[in-house]
Amino acid sequence: MAKIRWLVVSVIMILMTLSVLPDGAEAQKKLYVGGTQSLTGPFAEDSAAVLAAIEDYVKYVNETKNLGPWRKEKFPADITLEVLWRDDELKPAKALSIYEELKAKGMMVARISGSPIALALKDKMWEDRMGATSMATGPYYLSPPQSCFTYYPIYTDSLAAIADWFKANWKETRKPKVAYLTADNAMGRSIEIPEMKAYLEKVGYEFVGTQYVPLVPTSPPTTQLTWLKEKGVDLAVGVMINPGAQPTVKEMVRLGMGPYQPYKMTFGTGAPGHAAVFAEAMGELGDGYVCAGSFRPMDDLAIPGIKFCRDLQDKYRPGKRVTHIMYQAGILEGMIQVEALRLAMNEVPFEKLTRRDVLEKGFFKIKNLETGKISSTPLTYGEGDIEGVDQIRIDQVQKGKVVEVGLTPLRHIFTRK
Amino acid sequence: MGSHFGAVQESYAQDLAIFRTKLHWGALFAFLLFLFTCPLFFSDRMLTIMTMIGIAVISVHGLNILTGYCGQISIGHAGFMAVGGYASAILCAKLGFPFWIALPCGALTAGIAGLIFGLPSLKIKGFYLIMATIAAQFIIIWTIIQLRSITGGPDGLSVPKPAIGSIVLSSKANYFYLVMAFTCLATLLAKNIVRTRTGRAFIAIRDNDLAAEVMGISLWSYKLQAFFIGCVYAGVAGSLLIHYYSFASIDQFPFMDSVWYLGMLIVGGMGSTTGAIMGAVALRLLDELITMVGPILSAAVAPQAAASLALISHGLIIIIFLIFEPRGLHHRWEMIKAYFRLWPFSHEE
Repeated sequence: MAKIRWLVVSVIMILMTLSVLPDGAEAQKKLYVGGTQSLTGPFAEDSAAVLAAIEDYVKYVNETKNLGPWRKEKFPADITLEVLWRDDELKPAKALSIYEELKAKGMMVARISGSPIALALKDKMWEDRMGATSMATGPYYLSPPQSCFTYYPIYTDSLAAIADWFKANWKETRKPKVAYLTADNAMGRSIEIPEMKAYLEKVGYEFVGTQYVPLVPTSPPTTQLTWLKEKGVDLAVGVMINPGAQPTVKEMVRLGMGPYQPYKMTFGTGAPGHAAVFAEAMGELGDGYVCAGSFRPMDDLAIPGIKFCRDLQDKYRPGKRVTHIMYQAGILEGMIQVEALRLAMNEVPFEKLTRRDVLEKGFFKIKNLETGKISSTPLTYGEGDIEGVDQIRIDQVQKGKVVEVGLTPLRHIFTRK
Repeated sequence: MGSHFGAVQESYAQDLAIFRTKLHWGALFAFLLFLFTCPLFFSDRMLTIMTMIGIAVISVHGLNILTGYCGQISIGHAGFMAVGGYASAILCAKLGFPFWIALPCGALTAGIAGLIFGLPSLKIKGFYLIMATIAAQFIIIWTIIQLRSITGGPDGLSVPKPAIGSIVLSSKANYFYLVMAFTCLATLLAKNIVRTRTGRAFIAIRDNDLAAEVMGISLWSYKLQAFFIGCVYAGVAGSLLIHYYSFASIDQFPFMDSVWYLGMLIVGGMGSTTGAIMGAVALRLLDELITMVGPILSAAVAPQAAASLALISHGLIIIIFLIFEPRGLHHRWEMIKAYFRLWPFSHEE
């Protein structure tokens, strides 16, 4: 018994020693994509879909050397891609050590899995000249624009698009009243900037105030919604994820609030309050819900990008299909990271490739990257230009289905650069 | 003078010394040498992990003084870290204070916040005090969000890198040395605090506050002292954390961290300075182990197998310790030492 005990202790000690040693030389001609994920916490579902998509896209590129069915460029034949990821649990401290680990392994692209991680890592990534794709799109990325690149609009631009669309359909002579109804975390509160309020007032709204809903509510937000009703709010806008938006709208319906309810009020969120996920879960109960900057439903196979998603899943995960809309986000992230690496290698040989090269000769050189209409427009980045899309699609849930109701140009609300 | 077998103390002072034998001094020297040479053979990632462990150890020392020694359970420790961190960040970023002045000011601010939120401890204890400290966590974060013009609200606040004179502590190795220096200092202070009259009063209050009061210990004074000292430690830890990120954000101080700090104390052993270190190291290393195991598990079982693994394992570890080793790793360590002290004549067959 004592021998076994000592053996176990020895094995643990050897494993711990091995784990702390610096990594040795990696296999030749291999590049890493992926990065930190938030598989634990409120973004778990989104993150899992993103990860699945990145893995599938990398398999596709490795097998075919193609970058997408609609693209003619090829990825270098002698280079293999590998996905590296770790679960950061949406904890900045953990994301920091993961970032260091993946950087030490030779990763030259990274990703951001949520606003808390973005706030903690964006400056470090800029110092390290590390280009990263980002699932979060808060206005903090623009003060100043650095090396985190978004593929759906900054939250404030999404809300401006909803405000524009609502105002264009406003029939009454009085000023419509607008309020924020947003998640009570860094993501939700990031919209509370003076520029946003000024824009709403400039386009003819009367700004009423703000109400917060927990990111994942544990009880219906009755007080917040009653407050909106008492103030006579016509449009409530904010940033929420579906676990927040769905109970909020359910309670709205119970209180008789909504575009098709006795008390007329429209509620709109920026992505990631995806209308497709919302409609699937809520059906006709969610009619009237608006989302800006989101992705299309996964069954819209007329869209080349979505058909590509379906084909990838048929090939690489038959029987384990990922139906979450953020699979599209994962494909976009894979495309952007791989494209940045490819473009950089056009100018710098693989052996001499550095993070700085990938950022400056890769990410910054991505122009009109065709995504098969997964993103609302082709993606363009550059130094000081981290917001990939130029237009915002607005979707509304009507009769339980997602209907595209508008496409507006980016307003670039946040000007503090 | 005859020769002695084993460690023999000939005076009260010798008996009370922290380092009593040559082995103790040798171990200390070896440990300090190890710390000093770490950046030579550890990667940036390992230095990051060790820096984070150091910060956690400082914070858990504070909680140990408050909860482990004085018996005042707090689940708002991350909130007090936020106070220290933000105070230090504001002084550096907005008022241009040097890091060396901002850090003690931050610690002092956290201590004052601790005094304020410690006031209820004079009237309530146990479960009710837990609720009050939880409220402290949320009130502090809410206040930080509301003071947007000063704190940056949810957008956070950029903080300059700490500097000693003209030397900017921007590299991982530099900051590692800084944090380790503070960790050693915090450990030494914690060890000494509990050996003073104040420390003995804390223990008396923890064991039976009524009896302590009857003996003439001022509950009012000592409970507030415990809150102040515990929160000063939290303030130092918060300040070091924020300067490491060069960014202050409310997301760096989530409520769950307060719970895990208490968990570290349970795993390490409450009321023991060594236990506080062991608990912080154990849970942080477990965290890292799970991070590494996640992708392997995910590939082998199912993509989402790694999800919530850390939460589950942390919870499980705390439950296991509460049931099977409520006195924590420190107690287990003492048993191992006792076993080898008696070896080869142990009681075990």
